[in-house]
Amino acid sequence: MFADNRFGYLQQVRFVLGYATTPVYWVADIPTRVSFWIDDVFVSRTDLLEENEGLRVELLEAQRELQLLESLTSENNRLRALNEATEFIGGEILSAEIINISPDPYSKRVLINKGARDGVFIGQALLDANGLMGQVDEVLPFTSWVLLITDSHHVIPVEVNRNGERALARGSRDAANQLELVFVTQTQDMRANDLLVSSGMGQVYPKNYPVAEIISVYSDPGQDFAIVKARPLAQLASTRHVMLIFAEEEVAVEPNLIPDLVPDAAFEEAPVVDRGEVGGSEVADSEVVESDSVAEIVPQVIDDQVSQLESEPIDQ
Amino acid sequence: MPVRAHSIWVIFLSFFIAYLLAIVPFPEWAMNYRPEWVPMVLIYWVMALPYRVGIGSAWAAGLLLDILEGSILGLNATALVIVAYVTLSLHLRLRMFSTLQQSGLVLALIGLNLILCNWLQIVTGQSVASNLMFLMAALTSAIIWPSLFQLLRQIRRGFDVH
Repeated sequence: MFADNRFGYLQQVRFVLGYATTPVYWVADIPTRVSFWIDDVFVSRTDLLEENEGLRVELLEAQRELQLLESLTSENNRLRALNEATEFIGGEILSAEIINISPDPYSKRVLINKGARDGVFIGQALLDANGLMGQVDEVLPFTSWVLLITDSHHVIPVEVNRNGERALARGSRDAANQLELVFVTQTQDMRANDLLVSSGMGQVYPKNYPVAEIISVYSDPGQDFAIVKARPLAQLASTRHVMLIFAEEEVAVEPNLIPDLVPDAAFEEAPVVDRGEVGGSEVADSEVVESDSVAEIVPQVIDDQVSQLESEPIDQ
Repeated sequence: MPVRAHSIWVIFLSFFIAYLLAIVPFPEWAMNYRPEWVPMVLIYWVMALPYRVGIGSAWAAGLLLDILEGSILGLNATALVIVAYVTLSLHLRLRMFSTLQQSGLVLALIGLNLILCNWLQIVTGQSVASNLMFLMAALTSAIIWPSLFQLLRQIRRGFDVH
């Protein structure tokens, strides 16, 4: 039976039984919906006007940033085309609500109110207004389970926004709402308050979404690796409104713009992705970072700016 | 005939409410203290109506709980089947017990259920058990048992379930 489950033969059974459990979730969620409804109904006119005003200002700011972003995106595209890299096209999002959390105190999973009917798929990334939250773990007909980035079984490939140092962030095993970066060598350049963004390696999470902020770096010369702790930016414990990201299409840029660079780039990209995914050889990974060609650095800088800006409009 | 239809309806409803209580979100610190509603309701029905609710029902109830909690399929089912079996073999004695003695036995049964679940989770690599705090749920269950027992008994007699 357990072997069955391990190899996924029972996925279909779970899916069908999911129909039977939907009403339970629905009823369990009623109190929350009622309280939201009450909040909506009994809100004063002045409050609404104030909120409207605030939103208008935010929208203006977001639009201004969007204008900047567009020019940066096109600039970035041009540089990438020169450098023979792949480009991400922004994907669609689907808004969802968290309707429950896992009753098991040892796993960090949440249930969202979108399922197979809405096109949710396993491995889909979940965001809130501030950063990445996790990935879809199991899809039921009308609901799905999302594994949060703070679960101790979950590892997300990240990079430091400031300098592009790569690392793997794992859910902390001792603190409830924390991440720890694993296999960080003593010499890697990481500091407290550095922003960690998703690196897009492992091909599960889209690139450049903010993930966490480093809160402490402790390097003991006697140990192999530094102890780096980070705080997730997404409000994992308190948010209700979240977004699911749909496939960000990867479009390869014309391969024969600069023929000389093609083999180099292709050669360097592939192994990095592999290592990031396996997660065992971060040391080798960091070596790759150091040996990156100079041409890579220029778009990296632009990239960072884009990602900073990118995070803002999504916020609104 | 209507009585029979009633009875099934009441049992299903009690399980439905137990499921609700089992998945209602709890604050982080209280997670370990959440009473095990489904096993308790199961123990009651097995004790009161052993010819109607037995090991098969325990299996079905456990599978549903697995889906609800998103745990590995068969985890709660296995644990509940064992709990149902023990209750079934003790049900005559259990009816004679005083409330305190019943609570003691519920403590043991829920504890067994929790240990089985935890053990199966560790074996299948689903959980990192750091301490024995998860057993606190057995204690809260035992404390709640007397009132739950009275409530379910009133309901059973009121609706004449048998």
